[in-house]
Amino acid sequence: MNPPFPPDWKCPRRVGFLFPHACLRATPLGCPDCQNGQIEDPYAMRSDRFGYSRFDYYTDDYFLDLGSVYDPGVPDTAPIDFSEADGTDLVTPGNEFETDMTES
Amino acid sequence: MWLIYALGGGWGHLTRAIALARIAQRGRPLRILTNSPYAGIAVERDLDVVALDTRAGVVKEIAECAPECLIVDTFPRGIGGELISTPKARATVLVHRDINPRYVESARLREIVAAQYDLVLVPGAGEGSQLGNPPPAITTDPWLVRCAGELSHSAPIEGGSVLVCASGKPEELKWYGTVIAELLRLDCPAPVRCAAAECPPDCPKECWVRYWPAIDLVASAAVVIGGAGYNTVAECLALGVPLVARPWPRMYDRQELRAQRAAKCGHVIVVNDPREAARAAIAEIGRPPRHPPPYSNGAIEAVARIEALFRSQCAHRIDARSAPDGKPCGKERNPAQQERDHDEDERV
Repeated sequence: MNPPFPPDWKCPRRVGFLFPHACLRATPLGCPDCQNGQIEDPYAMRSDRFGYSRFDYYTDDYFLDLGSVYDPGVPDTAPIDFSEADGTDLVTPGNEFETDMTES
Repeated sequence: MWLIYALGGGWGHLTRAIALARIAQRGRPLRILTNSPYAGIAVERDLDVVALDTRAGVVKEIAECAPECLIVDTFPRGIGGELISTPKARATVLVHRDINPRYVESARLREIVAAQYDLVLVPGAGEGSQLGNPPPAITTDPWLVRCAGELSHSAPIEGGSVLVCASGKPEELKWYGTVIAELLRLDCPAPVRCAAAECPPDCPKECWVRYWPAIDLVASAAVVIGGAGYNTVAECLALGVPLVARPWPRMYDRQELRAQRAAKCGHVIVVNDPREAARAAIAEIGRPPRHPPPYSNGAIEAVARIEALFRSQCAHRIDARSAPDGKPCGKERNPAQQERDHDEDERV
């Protein structure tokens, strides 16, 4: 929605982390959740989550190492044709993932 | 029977599973599989909890149970990859807590979830984001082991305490012990209590409480010092209790991200240094208490969503039987698509 806003306008979005609640701001301008109304549904976008890179455990060296042990043999652009029978063949877990049953 | 796969370290997977099980077991037999070392402490009356510690044990247990619904917490392949070789249940549901996207990519979890799961449940807005659609991902409020009206008023700590929740890995106990020592050194004006399975180093025995579930204690606390795991953050946000959060590194969970996001929306202070944590907690004492509205327990909606999945599967089968050519009547939709369409209809 673009300005000007009706005097009784209230933001209809639901915002907040874990427990979303009605926003009810009188204007999206300056809103930290929808960024001035540019993001219709912050949680649908979620680019911040996928692009997040602050892992305490992982350094660039680690990912280089991971790349050397994991080769799915399938180009990234391959269509999704996974079946249950393919499950064990698709993944060659590195030394890190799926080895420690006590991780979380 | 519904079977909940809740393997993974610490308290988090088991506590979330119990939150769901408390609601779900009212309508059916239910069992929880766990490898949490705290399974003996996290006791809930009438719950069937099976402790396992091997991949083979998990596969055998699932095969023997032959559950009509398998609910898998966090790890679509199983924490050791063992679920790939288990038979598919009539309905398979993923509980999508946040998970390391590097693992999502390297293990091709999206493809696995699309092929093997009928429903993805996200226990809290913004918690899970990388899996689902298809199958549909449905976000509920966080799942808590106590509904708002169930909190114990006989929790063994004084009201207005500084509560240190020392969960996590054994080697992290030292950090919490340092926090407690610093709180005492600074003459903290409120009682200091530490909830932990084992008493941390440097924590006086009289401060230590061995109690589950922590949410009962959180409800009585003036401020909580803890990690930034799912349950600690969700419980503090639900109850409006300030949280001084020390995000710990995990292989799969992104505590740092959860803490930073919670800090934007709730009263969460993110720290790393134990002395900083003690000072931040003391600064919170004496502030006017917050009175958030009673929270909604998302486990209730989660159970309803799973039940709706079964209903849609039944309707799908009836459609298929009634069609002259044996194919589903009308628009051919799988149960997951039906559920999504139903949600869209409801919104309209």
